[in-house]
Amino acid sequence: MSDPDLDLKRLQEFFYRLITAPSGVAEGLARESTLPPGGLDRLVAGDNRMTSAERVEIYATGYFYRILEVLKEDFPASLAVVGADNFHNLVTGYLVDYPPTEPSIYFAGKSFASFLAAHPLREQWPFLADLATLERATLDSFHAADAPALDSDLMRSIAPAEWPALKLRTHPATRPVVSAWRIDRLLRAVEDGDAWRFPDREDVMIIVSRRDARVSWRVAEDAERTALLLASADGGAAFSEVCEAIATDAHATDDVAALINRLFAGWLRDGLFVCPAD
Amino acid sequence: MKRSDFPLLGFGVGLRRPHYAEILDSTPPMDWFEVISENFLVDGGRPLEVVDSVRAHYPVVMHGVSLSIGSTDPLNRSYLHDLRALARRLEPAWISDHLCWTGVGGRNLHDLLPLPHTEEAVTHTARRIREVQDFLGRRILVENVSSYMTYAHSRLTEWEFLAAIADEADCGILLDINNIFVNAFNHRFDARRYIDAMPPERVVQFHLAGHADHGTYLLDTHDHPVRPEVWELYEYAVRRLGAVSTLIEWDDNIPEFAVLTAAAAEARDREACALSAMRDVSLERLA
Repeated sequence: MSDPDLDLKRLQEFFYRLITAPSGVAEGLARESTLPPGGLDRLVAGDNRMTSAERVEIYATGYFYRILEVLKEDFPASLAVVGADNFHNLVTGYLVDYPPTEPSIYFAGKSFASFLAAHPLREQWPFLADLATLERATLDSFHAADAPALDSDLMRSIAPAEWPALKLRTHPATRPVVSAWRIDRLLRAVEDGDAWRFPDREDVMIIVSRRDARVSWRVAEDAERTALLLASADGGAAFSEVCEAIATDAHATDDVAALINRLFAGWLRDGLFVCPAD
Repeated sequence: MKRSDFPLLGFGVGLRRPHYAEILDSTPPMDWFEVISENFLVDGGRPLEVVDSVRAHYPVVMHGVSLSIGSTDPLNRSYLHDLRALARRLEPAWISDHLCWTGVGGRNLHDLLPLPHTEEAVTHTARRIREVQDFLGRRILVENVSSYMTYAHSRLTEWEFLAAIADEADCGILLDINNIFVNAFNHRFDARRYIDAMPPERVVQFHLAGHADHGTYLLDTHDHPVRPEVWELYEYAVRRLGAVSTLIEWDDNIPEFAVLTAAAAEARDREACALSAMRDVSLERLA
């Protein structure tokens, strides 16, 4: 970088590179091919207390640790699984691949699960990406759009003859998460402050939902998985399609009518669906 | 602009999550709250429910951290739309953000980076503030940031830079007294000289906060009580600039709400003392 390059845009791009260099400012400086004579001291005023590089390093440290702390808070179970050192290294790599782009730091971890899905640590912890997806789903549910939930009073106000065509759509705060591992048990153990253990391999769907601003989650029953996936697809699904899905997935010994009744009562109580548009 | 274009709110504190329940349950006495805009730029859920309830009982102001007014990226229109929507919802007494850049190339550092104190940066930043003000339909306040580096090619002092931008953009100033103290140590200048250079009519709000002493530099951590030296500087600012809406910031190691209430009360007392001293001096001069 030469003096004519001290225009604001180049300066900001230069400091962005230094602050986000994964191994620190010294490494970032070493990568710069066109530093002016005098190096960083030509750009940043140092003194006998701190060199120019040490001053920039304060920002580099702040950048990394601020986001690290946010991700630790957002993904406590993933942190518990991999341990602090691995998590630190994961975040270092994550910030290289997925640097924050949104104004709110809340979104800093939005791609963490995608990053984990392609990370070599998946060999050791193959459930890790799913676990992070579940953790992220609870955050997304917390901040999801408000919408009036379909409840039993409203269902009763609709003529039964209209029910089959009634369009059911999951509430914006309802997030189904599927996994081939019992990550629900792992997350529950971490939430309860208990020791976690390697999850069993078993297909599972976890329903994250929000009622009265409180986020909760539970494992879906076998008979409700397809039904809820249908209702969470774009456009939702007709009541009749949802009932058919339940009937299809029900066990041979189930009383299907009673099962549909019970599942619907639970869904309405938990606020899983939005009120249908007129 | 005149300071009286904005209401004098008194003494407030930042609205922070650990205090939500206490504030909502008991609506404790507090003149006003400052909310971090980005915490409420969400689609729905508990955060908006809380801020709506708080707004129903108290005046609020919106304080942002991601406007990135000094960045060379285009202004983030999506962010501005969201900010305007939140302002329409909350009807804040004012909106503020920091005189800094927070990212470039579409990426966000989630930090408040200082600008070089140059004419180029004054022109660039003031133009963007005007654009934001036009978009929001109101004047905003810009806050002086704490910093740990200065640019070797700066030609203005920090206070000249801040005053020039406020003048050219015709915006208000949120003067962070702790940041002045921190920067005075980190960059070796006289904090009182900074305050002396502030245009009184533009200073609409004060921030007070704690910082951490790292020996060779002070770090603006907002995780300590306001230091005695910062209180003294606050009193000096009141004597120079008069009564200004004052806010206690505390963002980490957040104590009981009562501690913040006590800090706001101390600011009230210190302001009263400083204003009283100022009146005494004026009377002596008249005599």
